[in-house]
Amino acid sequence: MPAKLQLGPLVAGLGVIVLGVLALLDSTNVISLGFGALAPLACAVAGATLLASGLTRSG
Amino acid sequence: MTDDDTTQIPEPDQPPEPEQRRMTRPRDDRVFAGVCKGLGRYFNVDPVLFRVAAVALIFFGGAGLLLYIAAVLLIPNEGEERPESRRRRDRALAVIGVVLLVVAAGSIFSHGVFHAGWAFGPFVFIGLAALGVWWLVSGERPRGDARDVLRSVVRGIGVLIICTALALGGAWLAGAGGGTAAAIAVIAAGAILAGAALEGYGRWLVLPALSLALPVAFVSAANIDLHGGAGDKQYVPASAAQVRDSYRVGAGRLVVDLRDAQLPPGDRPLKLRVGVGEADLIVPDNVCVSTSAKVGMGAVDSFERSNGGVDVDWVDQPPAAAGNPRIVLDAHVGVGRVLISHFRSEDFGPGYRKFYRPLPQPGDEVNSGCEVTHAR
Repeated sequence: MPAKLQLGPLVAGLGVIVLGVLALLDSTNVISLGFGALAPLACAVAGATLLASGLTRSG
Repeated sequence: MTDDDTTQIPEPDQPPEPEQRRMTRPRDDRVFAGVCKGLGRYFNVDPVLFRVAAVALIFFGGAGLLLYIAAVLLIPNEGEERPESRRRRDRALAVIGVVLLVVAAGSIFSHGVFHAGWAFGPFVFIGLAALGVWWLVSGERPRGDARDVLRSVVRGIGVLIICTALALGGAWLAGAGGGTAAAIAVIAAGAILAGAALEGYGRWLVLPALSLALPVAFVSAANIDLHGGAGDKQYVPASAAQVRDSYRVGAGRLVVDLRDAQLPPGDRPLKLRVGVGEADLIVPDNVCVSTSAKVGMGAVDSFERSNGGVDVDWVDQPPAAAGNPRIVLDAHVGVGRVLISHFRSEDFGPGYRKFYRPLPQPGDEVNSGCEVTHAR
């Protein structure tokens, strides 16, 4: 793993990409995005980001 | 006996001079500027007590924040000797802080605690939010003297402005029909953030990227459509011919009052679309309403029944009583509520909101034009 890598921001970036893909699929009517799916996903992204940041910090 | 023979009589032991206690702000284990820790050490009390008191005082018209700033100015850092000119300036600033406190106290006593709290609350909130934001994006805890803390606040406000612009811009783009473009922008932001994280400087981009992504996802999930303009729109058709098939408002309140429309028997389709706000449909007693309503976040209040939360999907399609007209309602509200009733809130007096009206009496708030009315 490169020394410069920031795991927390990397996970956050991947989470943002997932959110964008879901919004894209919703806008093109491939899926119907609702809060029932968005809320747990947003929590998962936030949780994974914090977890990754904590793991990085603890070495 | 010579001088040499004289013996020195030892002086009685003097009690050691008590060490002068000086209140300072310790540099270790401080949360912000070390005021509470310094006070705790000086008074030999757990600093948590001072921290709790300071936070509690913030909600008393922001007095806690002003007191904290005054304390930062008055109490020096541990091991720091300030020049006289600096001390004089700090004292002047502290006096200004105390004057502000007096003004706050006057406001509290003349208008009540909560009025004062509301007046100062936004500034306190923005200041704290800016500090927190700067802490998040830079990783620098707010520390140092008042000038350092103020610098952090100003930088945090700058980041807040950028993030707010991204959030509003993304939400507006997604709600105004540019959902695809907004989603692509979010994907690009995520890719830039991930790339920057690989290079070791992604931390700064986390908050701006989330500020763009979350509102766009929110607007998509709520199906908010901002077409139709903003503001309140009221339609009171005087005849059945004037009743349109659909009504729309982007953000605001949409009122369609059909009590004077004299609808003929039979089904009449009607679409109501509101992005953010309220859609009110008012019908006379003899009109049945068949409802299919979707609300991303909010509530549907249909006569005496109601349902609220997220992803609200309301279907209630009773047949009309013999000889009665029926509105076949298709309502979509992104964030807000759909309200179907026999009354207008204004019927209860100027400025009277539906929310505050008296509870309906038995029989006066049911879908009375239908074949089967719902029991209370």
